[in-house]
Amino acid sequence: MSILANKDTRVVIQGGQAGVNAARRMAEFCYLIKRPLNVEAFVYPPDAGKTNEVPYGSGLIAIPVYKTIAEATKNHPSINTSLVYIGADRAMKGGMEALDDPHIKVVSMITEGVPEKDAKLLGAHARKLGKVFNGPSSIGIISAGSCRLGVIGGAFDNLVLSKLYREGSFGVVTKSGGLSNEIIWICSQFADGITTAIGIGGDAYPGTDYVSYLEMFENDPQTKAVVIVGEMGGDLEERAAEWYGAKKRRIKLIGVVSGFCQESLPKGMKFGHAGAKEGMKGEGSARSKSDALKKAGALVPATFGALGPAIKETYQELLKSGQVKEPVEPTVLPKLPKSVEEAMKADEVMVAPLIRTTISDDRGDEPCYDGYPASELINKGYEIPHVIGLLWDKRLISKQEAEIIKRIMMLSADHGPCVSGAYATILAACAGIGLSQSVAAGLIMIGPRFGGAVTDAGRWFKYAVDNKMNVDEFLAYMKKHVGPVPGIGHRVKSLRNPDKRVKELVGYVKSLNMKTPCLDFALQVEQVTAAKKDNLILNVDGTMAAVLVDLGFPVDSLNGFFILSRTIGLIGHWVDQKRQDSRLIRLFDYLVNYAAPKRREVPPLK
Amino acid sequence: MAKVLEGPGMGLMKKWGIHVPHYAVVTSADELAKLGHANDWMKHTKLVAKAHEALGSRFKLGLVKVGLDLSAAIAATKEMIGRQVGSITVSQVIVSEMVAHKEEYYCAVKSTREGSEVLVANCGGIEVESNWDRVKRLCLEVGQQPTAEALEKLVKDAGFTGPLVKKMADFAAKMFTCFDNEDAQYLEVNPVVIRESDGELVALDAVTLLDGDAKFRHPDWNFQFAAEFGRAYSRDEMEVMAVDSKIKGSVKFIEIPGGDTAMLPAGGGASVYYSDAVVARGGKLANYAEYSGDPPDWAVEVLTEKVCSLPGIKNIIVGGAIANFTDVKKTFGGIINGFRKAKSDGKLKNVRIWVRRGGPREKEGLDAMRALKDEGFDINVFDRNTPLTDIVDKALHKQ
Repeated sequence: MSILANKDTRVVIQGGQAGVNAARRMAEFCYLIKRPLNVEAFVYPPDAGKTNEVPYGSGLIAIPVYKTIAEATKNHPSINTSLVYIGADRAMKGGMEALDDPHIKVVSMITEGVPEKDAKLLGAHARKLGKVFNGPSSIGIISAGSCRLGVIGGAFDNLVLSKLYREGSFGVVTKSGGLSNEIIWICSQFADGITTAIGIGGDAYPGTDYVSYLEMFENDPQTKAVVIVGEMGGDLEERAAEWYGAKKRRIKLIGVVSGFCQESLPKGMKFGHAGAKEGMKGEGSARSKSDALKKAGALVPATFGALGPAIKETYQELLKSGQVKEPVEPTVLPKLPKSVEEAMKADEVMVAPLIRTTISDDRGDEPCYDGYPASELINKGYEIPHVIGLLWDKRLISKQEAEIIKRIMMLSADHGPCVSGAYATILAACAGIGLSQSVAAGLIMIGPRFGGAVTDAGRWFKYAVDNKMNVDEFLAYMKKHVGPVPGIGHRVKSLRNPDKRVKELVGYVKSLNMKTPCLDFALQVEQVTAAKKDNLILNVDGTMAAVLVDLGFPVDSLNGFFILSRTIGLIGHWVDQKRQDSRLIRLFDYLVNYAAPKRREVPPLK
Repeated sequence: MAKVLEGPGMGLMKKWGIHVPHYAVVTSADELAKLGHANDWMKHTKLVAKAHEALGSRFKLGLVKVGLDLSAAIAATKEMIGRQVGSITVSQVIVSEMVAHKEEYYCAVKSTREGSEVLVANCGGIEVESNWDRVKRLCLEVGQQPTAEALEKLVKDAGFTGPLVKKMADFAAKMFTCFDNEDAQYLEVNPVVIRESDGELVALDAVTLLDGDAKFRHPDWNFQFAAEFGRAYSRDEMEVMAVDSKIKGSVKFIEIPGGDTAMLPAGGGASVYYSDAVVARGGKLANYAEYSGDPPDWAVEVLTEKVCSLPGIKNIIVGGAIANFTDVKKTFGGIINGFRKAKSDGKLKNVRIWVRRGGPREKEGLDAMRALKDEGFDINVFDRNTPLTDIVDKALHKQ
């Protein structure tokens, strides 16, 4: 047996994320005691109509979210308890809504900082309706082996350590949330554990106080003794003492009160919970409370540390008188399934990775490129081409190589608005399309006919050099197996009107003291092809390709140099159009050769 | 419970129709001189000047001056502003009219468990304090308004007679309305006097305690709450309060000068038991502190730095019960960072640290604390198997 919360308790939680977190803790407890989840519904207007996912064992349970308590109890008529996790400014309205629902008998408010008047109105309303209003600022209520309301009891391991999976003989009532767990733990170590533990909250005027709960414990045959943990301030402990001393009680009462330090502190210095304030004439002091409890016949240990032995003493008496028997512990308890991360950490599971990476890692405090921290690269003077070298070819390139890459990128960054890529981006920008999609539209144009010949040019020049072909063999091979030589030929430039970018790049690379077999071969090819036709010159794609192959970059990465540099231009075009607030454009009819059939009659449908 | 100084307190009473003397809160003698030109009452009545600060025994400290004319009030203001009393510097003076009167009465409304109580006595000033049995009370359920008949009966029971019965009942009714609408926890007027000029009851001196938690529904509470223990908050205390107002969960810090045992426990409940244990062992608390509700690690780090900066400390008690949902590893991470910072700033020399804690991720948190030994900290770490306050016994036993 237990009080307030038991196997039949079905819960609605009012509130958002804090409520969901509590539901998760409650699900852990339900899993431990092998019972279905006791949370039926949430009430949280912003999420009404959705569901909250609560892990239970290794699965997930979807709990519906409603706009009002009435909707929740209509759909889940077994609900009889509400937990309130709503902010202090709306807590009273939420609490009243729950109290006014005929299905709900117990409302426990977790919200802290609720105005005193609101708490009193809630308490008075509950008493009028014959219901229980617990809190505000309550950590929750837990009945060992049957029901957990809120996060009271802590983490799963603590539930097991504190033997909350089965009933004991001690009731617990505390103001402090943290101490409730401490007492539950002590009861499990020095005695046979608890029946029900209740956090009433540390406010000055909790909705339900010690006396009401003592009365309930007195009527619960399983509970043989009750531990109350009090604080200076108010008169709740004195009232508990008065109740206990008023007549012979079945339950034993053990109590401690905090706040003795106030006696030796500067006057007026107060701390602890909101309710921890001494009256103007010393009433509500720790001493007066302690004395009242002692006088009423309660066991009052001198310090908190002496509480364990006091509980043990009480338990031994109960054992001796035959009122309780040593509990039988279950042999096997469910273990909470670990998350994959936890299990891996404990070396209990091996996971086959989904992807493998060999270039970068940002799990530390900054990204590392091929193992080098980005900030260190910056501080030691490395630049963008070095990052490209690390991420595309996994090597730290030299200063000279970096300079060549920089020049290649600068030469290819943009080629005016008329080329396919830039035109596509501008068209998209004028249609009001966003940056990433517009730039992607331009990038999509990069292919065999526009900017995408770098990789192919590099591949075939490299093929020729690797196989030690001469130019004639190469051209014959290409004619037979491939087609036009990629990297050779230009729409407008020719021998007489050379591409200045190519001249610049070739001149610079040749001025360096480096071996350039691929570039040399490409230039030989150009001599032969240009002799046949004036515009079959080595174009910028072919030049880049040959130089980059000579630098050792993998053939498959070569188009990347064009894509990367041209992206600079494409972004520029998008920003340019955006800045001008350009209007939607369409082709003029006179730019279209309408070669479709003339207008004609549609034959009847057969 | 939030204390409000006289100025804003009188403002609230005036708002609900209670007669109060003319008054003005000034921050300089010049300001008072200018107000003197604009306000006739300052020229034509005798004045009272009081330091407008959360100070006890102002009369003894010479911070209350009565029977002044305007120029004397200006002189008194000049003298009071800037005066240092303990940690408080007087920065405001309240100047009010002296109300000529003969009889003094008492009226208060206070919060009770059931609702509230209206208290009335037909004596006032210090007389009521020595004759508490003459105070009569009317208990009210929360949500209940006092009827005119009930108040008149209360006033009659307190010994009021004749036309004063209705007047005093009226006064008490307004006090209750003010109390109820302003989310007050305590309103006291002592004395209530009959103003000779018009025969009205006037509130001469008031104590106002409001429910700070209700601030969200009182946008016109534009005043600061006064420090509750007769001194100003220190810079470190205010820094921790600023952090506290920004975070989920809470961090609290109050300095107690002269102590040598520093407190850094978790939980509003456990922290007081730890303080009790220190006092019971004959130790001297250097501070009160507390963190709870799973605060972010950086907030706990700030709190830790303040605790480590307390002068003359010998022990730091990092205690705590078995947490429900405060992540022990995370919050200890903040404490550890704070300790490291303090140590690199040359603090924590010959300071012993005592740790006891349980809760979510307790093992990881306690292991991290233990590892501080290798960094040269004098630290002793205990888990849930050591009773809550035993670390205090251990810390103070060794001395």
